[in-house]
Amino acid sequence: MTKLFGIIAEFRTPGAVRSAAAHLRERGFRAFEAYTPYPVKGLDQIVDPGPKLVLPIVMFTAAMLGAAWGYWIQFWGEAVNYPINVGGRPYNSWPAFMVSTFEFMLLATIFAGLLGMLVLSRLPKLYHPLFDAKVFERASRDRFVICIEASDPAFEPAAARGVFEQLGAIRIEEVPA
Amino acid sequence: MVAPEVTLTSLSEKVSSCVLTDRAPLWWWIGFGCSFMLFLVLPIQMAVLFIDGIGVWGVRIPVAWGLALAEYVWWIALASGGTIVSALFYLTRSPWRSATNRIAESMLLSAVPCAGLMPIMHLGRPGLFYWLFPYSNVMGVWPQARSPLWWDFICLLCYILMSLMYYYAGLIPDLATVRDLAQTRFKKIFYGVLALGWRGSVSQWRNQRVVYATMSAIMAPMVVSVHSVVGLDFAGGLTPGWHVTQFPPYFFFGAVISGTALIIMLTILVRWGYGLQDVLTEYHLNALAKVMLVGCLLLGYAYVWEAFGPIYGSDVAEKTESYHRMFGFTAPAFWSEKILTVVIPQLLWFPPVRRNVLLLVLISGGIILGMWQERYVFTISSLAHNSIPSYWGSYFPTVWDWAALAGTIGLFLTLFFLFLRFVPIISMSEVREIIEEEKSG
Repeated sequence: MTKLFGIIAEFRTPGAVRSAAAHLRERGFRAFEAYTPYPVKGLDQIVDPGPKLVLPIVMFTAAMLGAAWGYWIQFWGEAVNYPINVGGRPYNSWPAFMVSTFEFMLLATIFAGLLGMLVLSRLPKLYHPLFDAKVFERASRDRFVICIEASDPAFEPAAARGVFEQLGAIRIEEVPA
Repeated sequence: MVAPEVTLTSLSEKVSSCVLTDRAPLWWWIGFGCSFMLFLVLPIQMAVLFIDGIGVWGVRIPVAWGLALAEYVWWIALASGGTIVSALFYLTRSPWRSATNRIAESMLLSAVPCAGLMPIMHLGRPGLFYWLFPYSNVMGVWPQARSPLWWDFICLLCYILMSLMYYYAGLIPDLATVRDLAQTRFKKIFYGVLALGWRGSVSQWRNQRVVYATMSAIMAPMVVSVHSVVGLDFAGGLTPGWHVTQFPPYFFFGAVISGTALIIMLTILVRWGYGLQDVLTEYHLNALAKVMLVGCLLLGYAYVWEAFGPIYGSDVAEKTESYHRMFGFTAPAFWSEKILTVVIPQLLWFPPVRRNVLLLVLISGGIILGMWQERYVFTISSLAHNSIPSYWGSYFPTVWDWAALAGTIGLFLTLFFLFLRFVPIISMSEVREIIEEEKSG
């Protein structure tokens, strides 16, 4: 028998996938994941509950660092490395530096956000075992898919298939690893 | 908002097929061909300009800022409109934004290069423009960080980079849809690589939405700052007519109205061209038209204060310049501009006008033209009537000034037509949510 990545099942409506996920959690499954064409409301709290603060913290830290970086460039250029007297204004004329400090802060935040989003989502990952599954093809379009992964301690192919059948899945498929 | 017969299946297939089809429709080829021919004017114009110097333009002292700088402001305003619709109305949770934001952002990314080219062409020594970057160099010099012109460079640079990242963060799920629908090997690989292996899992969606919402909250003040700093380029000088504290918001109001006008025209093009009347409905045009009307009112308010300042103030130079602007050489452009951007758009108060495609195109086109005139008038007229009459001058655009305008319009349209062909032009993942919400009532 080939090694399995998991068992995948297709549902027709967002409501069905939500109740299926809730049911799986009640039955004691832990390593399962839902794939949907758009973020289904309430599904994330069922599949992976708990507050998620990493991204906001990463972006906030990047904002602070970006602002410091932006101010430092200007301070270094205008007050330390290449001071020019412009009409007697102070070399470290901070009000004039605020605009660029602001822009550097925002640039760093957005960059950290995009990067953090990709890293936390384990992207880019151009190949994934799920891409071989027929059932998975429509998950980016109009179907709602749940996969119980083989890494789950409660995983047992026949039982998982039985659970999905009971939940009213349209199609069920085994995904080889 | 979306026609009831649109389903998740039909939406994905229809929008993706616009990108995946092997044969682009005839209107696309005609549009792209004409745009590309217009674009070819740009390299010719640049060659002449770089070989002969900016004397080939009509600019000379005292009117050293000619059409190129006026058009820089014009292009950056058009681009800013894209971010306003996309980011600001994401924050207000306006549902009509979902179907139009990709058009708005594609427009923004097509317009920003045109804006960026203008000041570089105007530099005189364009090859040295990289001196504006704040990097440690062997010359031991740094750019002047107290100057609004440098702020403007930083703003534009950050704006381009941030817009690209914002665009891509919203685009990844749609690229995955196109990847899964692609039939040929090349397209599968092309969109597969661009989609980075997006699977739409719960955690991926959560990360994407958290970041996208935060990015919107950042892009909204960002775009206000970009166009305000463009206003400071002018307000920072002592030139009569420019040295006005209302310039930053005044410029921003111009961005709201002209950007929205261009989005309306492009939305109508996409809607008609790809037959997306059931996704881009009258509801969307109606909402965009209302935004445009608000922009007109804001701009009209700024015009009142623009006239009030010189009348109420005691500065003779301001009064003289204002008189020349309204009744001198620029008078026709000045008055027709007020009619095009403030008077005629008042028609948008009437709901039938907001639903009439032809009238919307005419009004929007008039606004874009009018905003070009506005930028032209305040750039030229102030420099031509400086504080000392012996220093007055005049400015006539030459054929190469007009070539720069034609070429950048060609560049803009060429880029936009390429977006139309290669990128899903409707944000499918967001419209799916709207469809489900409407279905569940």
